[in-house]
Amino acid sequence: MKDMTDQVKEIATKLLESGQVDVFMAWEKGDAPHQSKPFFARNVADVEKIIFDEYCIHNLSTYLTRFRDGKEKIAIVVKGCDSRGVVRMLEDHQMKRDRLHIIGINCPGMKDPLEAMKQHSGFERETGEKGLAIKCLQCMQPNPVIYDESLGEIQEPHFKGERFTEVKALEAMSSEERYQFFSEVLSTCIRCYACRQVCVACNCRTCIFDEAKPQWVGRETSVGDNFMYHIVRAFHMAGRCIECGECERVCPVNIPLMLINRKLIKDVDHYFGPYDAGMAYVEGGKPPLSLYKIDDPDDFI
Amino acid sequence: MKILKKNQLDTLWERLARNAELYLPTQKGDQSGFFSYKTLKPEKDTLMLDALNVYLSPKNIVLPQTEMMYSFTHQGQEINLEEVYEDPTPRIIFGLRSCDVKSIDRLDTVFFTRGFVDEYYRSRRENTLLILNACYHPGPNCFCEAMGLSPRESESADIILHDAGEEGYIWVANTEKGRELTGNIEDILEEKEISYPQPRPFTREVDYTGVAEKLKDMFSHPIWHPLSDPCINCGICTYVCPNCYCFDIQVKTRGEEGYRYRCWDSCMYGEYTMMAGGHNPRETGMERFRNRFLHKLEFFTERYGEPLCTGCGRCIAVCPTGINIIEIMEKAKGVEPSA
Ligand code: SF4
Ligand code: SF4
Ligand code: SF4
Ligand code: SF4
Ligand code: SF4
Repeated sequence: MKDMTDQVKEIATKLLESGQVDVFMAWEKGDAPHQSKPFFARNVADVEKIIFDEYCIHNLSTYLTRFRDGKEKIAIVVKGCDSRGVVRMLEDHQMKRDRLHIIGINCPGMKDPLEAMKQHSGFERETGEKGLAIKCLQCMQPNPVIYDESLGEIQEPHFKGERFTEVKALEAMSSEERYQFFSEVLSTCIRCYACRQVCVACNCRTCIFDEAKPQWVGRETSVGDNFMYHIVRAFHMAGRCIECGECERVCPVNIPLMLINRKLIKDVDHYFGPYDAGMAYVEGGKPPLSLYKIDDPDDFI
Repeated sequence: MKILKKNQLDTLWERLARNAELYLPTQKGDQSGFFSYKTLKPEKDTLMLDALNVYLSPKNIVLPQTEMMYSFTHQGQEINLEEVYEDPTPRIIFGLRSCDVKSIDRLDTVFFTRGFVDEYYRSRRENTLLILNACYHPGPNCFCEAMGLSPRESESADIILHDAGEEGYIWVANTEKGRELTGNIEDILEEKEISYPQPRPFTREVDYTGVAEKLKDMFSHPIWHPLSDPCINCGICTYVCPNCYCFDIQVKTRGEEGYRYRCWDSCMYGEYTMMAGGHNPRETGMERFRNRFLHKLEFFTERYGEPLCTGCGRCIAVCPTGINIIEIMEKAKGVEPSA
């Protein structure tokens, strides 16, 4: 992907030099060869550090919240999934379209630097090259849905097969079995909230989990408090998760967060759809659960 | 010298687990950490004694992520203490690496010195025995030596094991407690002279010398902005760190009953410094990021003479955005003085 790096750099130089943007959000090489890390170039001299390679897996759209109160013009490099995150930010009024210059890269699929780090750290017994990241193997939208300029050939999604197989297996369980299943997987959550921090849908200024007066969710790492955390988080993702898979990727204890998210995606699509979050930006458009109508057929509110 | 044959490991663990809660470095499903011997399922779980280290540090055993402190009942203004949950259960952690033993040392420093003893920590710690598995093959992110410790020696380890391959483990009782335990299981050890394995060198050169002094004048340095740009303040680094000891005290009540517990906290979180009046002295992610490194590499050293990092490399391997403490040290050293 050497020439991709060159193309991105070329655009960055052009935009920063002309003053069209103040910040150019991309990646630089990390400390290890199998590591790339988010990088914000702020002047032409920074551009030489920019790279684009198979480890640029991070969804940079989440970082847009850092700039939401400012006036800077921002260029952002996005892959397919990340571009849906940009739509999320726009729909949630966290960013104005005219402050953004979006460089879309039709994504061939990425490798996970976290997996690679683990493999090379000695913390894993079995080592060997891992292929594409799980989130990329499950990706439905490798080509950006919103961009000002796009790079690379149009890509076929890596995901083949039935999208909700695992969700259906979950639905087929009895409620006792499901309770058992969730008790087991959620009991190991260490409540670091990395899944929230990395999430583009989690753009609230004050998160419910940080509220102290009143404290809605206890801080114990117990099945009860962990359930509470994951139920509330799940509700807040309904209609808003753009399926970038970052939460599951960064979770240090491998909680199957995308399984929970996909159940919500399936339900939102079924009850309020057809709908897939962040697939297109329509000015003033609202995701299903962000809308209130006085003549709502349900009277539960 | 005393040798523990590898085919005796099961017997040893079975014996140790009779009188104590025993923890082993294990891969359990997707997670690796120190898990209780009792909960291990041989058909599913894998022992990690021959791996470099496990992902989740042993800190949880002496400083649990959630720890019950006391329960109470109250009627109006009157409060009755019901139960205090100090936990003196005898525990043995088997197969720790030197960086993790040293980190427990640092926790001791925090919880035992400077005029205050944390009784909850003390009751656990004083009843925990540490069995070190000496390192002969440092990993790519290991830099313990640079942080002032030896990967094969430790004053605080009660027993030190040296993996001599087929020959078994060389068993060295290192403290009074360690000698006592050795006495109880002597019948499964063998007496034989073998040679110690050859250590491999560290792959990365790290030099902490001068970093604390350098950081002293760098609080307002602009370098913290680009350094912290990628960080999402997720706090994973502080939760996996065997040295980070921050906790919060919380209470839960139901009617007239309630209990107080403590749980890990992290300076990476905004809520951590949030004050009652709504002011937050560390408002931005950059300030929290800076605090993590200054506390580890400067403040702690100033107060206790040693850094709050034992070079285990965990935070380097787990950071989702590629932040690397070694790189931070290098960058700090490279900064022009008084910039
Ligand atoms: S699910 Fe994973 S990332 Fe999220 S809080 Fe739990 S441990 Fe952290
Ligand atoms: S940091 Fe040192 S003690 Fe820890 S695992 Fe690496 S070599 Fe062993
Ligand atoms: S340094 Fe890395 S692991 Fe630590 S809070 Fe920042 S992003 Fe998370
Ligand atoms: S700061 Fe990082 S390298 Fe140092 S002890 Fe903590 S986790 Fe290990
Ligand atoms: S680095 Fe942060 S979380 Fe860790 S001990 Fe220091 S203040 Fe606490």
